[in-house]
Amino acid sequence: MTGIFLFSEDPVLAKQLLTPALALKGALDQPITALALDGATAADLAALGADTVLLLQSASGWVEGLGDAVTDLVRAATVVLVGGTQRGKHLAAHVAAKLDAGLTTDAKSLAIEDGKLVTSRILYAGLAVGVEELAFPAVATIPPRSYPTPEAAQTPGSVETVAVTDDIRVTVTGTTPTESSGVDISLANKLVSVGRGFRSKDDLPLAEGLAAKLKGEVSCTRGIAEDEHWLPIERYIGISGQTVKPDLYLAVGLSGQVQHMVGARESKIIVAINSDERAPIFEAADYGIVGDLYAVLPLLTAAITS
Amino acid sequence: MPKFLVLYKWTLDEQDIKIKSDDLSLDASRAKGKISDFDRNAIEEAARIVEAKGGSVDVLTYGSAAVKQSLKDVLSRGADKAYWIADASAETADAVVTAKVLAAAIRKIGPYDVILTGEGSSDQFNQQTAPRVAALLGLPCLSLVHKLDVEAGTVSVTRKLAVCTEQATVSGPVVVSVLSDINKPRIPGLKQVLGAAKKPNEEIALGSLGVSPADLQPKAVRRSAKGFVMTRKNVVFKDANPADSVAKLVSSLVSEGLF
Repeated sequence: MTGIFLFSEDPVLAKQLLTPALALKGALDQPITALALDGATAADLAALGADTVLLLQSASGWVEGLGDAVTDLVRAATVVLVGGTQRGKHLAAHVAAKLDAGLTTDAKSLAIEDGKLVTSRILYAGLAVGVEELAFPAVATIPPRSYPTPEAAQTPGSVETVAVTDDIRVTVTGTTPTESSGVDISLANKLVSVGRGFRSKDDLPLAEGLAAKLKGEVSCTRGIAEDEHWLPIERYIGISGQTVKPDLYLAVGLSGQVQHMVGARESKIIVAINSDERAPIFEAADYGIVGDLYAVLPLLTAAITS
Repeated sequence: MPKFLVLYKWTLDEQDIKIKSDDLSLDASRAKGKISDFDRNAIEEAARIVEAKGGSVDVLTYGSAAVKQSLKDVLSRGADKAYWIADASAETADAVVTAKVLAAAIRKIGPYDVILTGEGSSDQFNQQTAPRVAALLGLPCLSLVHKLDVEAGTVSVTRKLAVCTEQATVSGPVVVSVLSDINKPRIPGLKQVLGAAKKPNEEIALGSLGVSPADLQPKAVRRSAKGFVMTRKNVVFKDANPADSVAKLVSSLVSEGLF
């Protein structure tokens, strides 16, 4: 038996994976087998086009520990698609190693050409896009929100329950959900993004005031969130953070390193405010002001009010 | 006393790579090498634990002939001994090949209590090496760690994920990938740089690892790499009076239909 296999522990992402899986089914004429961790998701995946859904009975539910179990279930695969969450990427790398298979991390596109899976992805933190071809079996992880959920299938698939073995060598002793301010910056139409040009956390109201006037949100660089802890990590943009596509991206006091800009470069209009005329952000911006953000932001905030 | 092995990659500094305007190909001729950013965090973390509690830190890299340039740098960052595999196969190696070579080398020079690496390399950011090496060696893997404790053979970590933080423990050998916020890597001083010259390094011949020619063939073959080009208007205001620049910016944004 050969086939297209998919898995994500995130129910929404699992359903999104069915869209590229259905396209691969068309190209390869092979059935889709989806793996799920809960009954509701299993039923959804069967209704949306998976020919078979394997409902894994994992005692711990620790996704990273399911590598060997998933490998056994997908051993016949031509292509395995895994949801590109952090847990999913860990699992996918384990499965790919056990299958002796290539793996494209965060695939931006998938195609079948000449009996190979051809994928594209970002290289050098966003500087370049690489295209690679993977021999079968091939594995790819797909970032969230890359594809829509497909329409319901004409003939729903079947669901089978499968007992699986967890990795008992790892003991998860505690889990603390990330505190969320409830703000999803990827949904904001206008963003004021803060970089290290801000001298202190006490100065953030300058950005917050402008964001409020714009009816937008404040975002930031990785350094502001991860090193300074001035803003929650859910607000940082970049290769390992959020990807945003607002109408207006106002980059304030940030240099525009490629690792950051890869998360913002699909914005409609990019504006830079920076005191360093040579900062790369000006090359990545539609409009820019060379100047001290402490002088410019209050003026800009006032100008928008009037 | 824990024995650490840190896996690191010698990468091109992406800030030095230029995109050629005619065909968007990448020009890395002026790019200098560097120890991949997140791997520096892994070296630092092992060095800090050993400095506080005893133990040892070996490091291991696989790359082209250029990896030899990394030895002084890596040994000045707190490593005791560097192992290196220099082979042309690294030029085309994908994560499959890299993990096989590293795992084979670890079987030869190991065992180690904790095998550490960064969350991903700064060039490819595949984030595959830690789970792959663990899978090939039959070891458990804890990825994305931002707090690491090693006590009497038990490794306790806090992992930081987008959705949660998670505490986990493993008894016995383990592969760990660390996040960049686990520490701030030291900038080696003159004393460390001079000391690095006296520390041992050992080349491991790829031929001695029992890796077959087929194992050195990548499963993921690069077809092309093209620069990502962002076309922007690049209108910059730099009036002496910032109010003038602000007025021009606001009028531009109005004409863009943003207000």
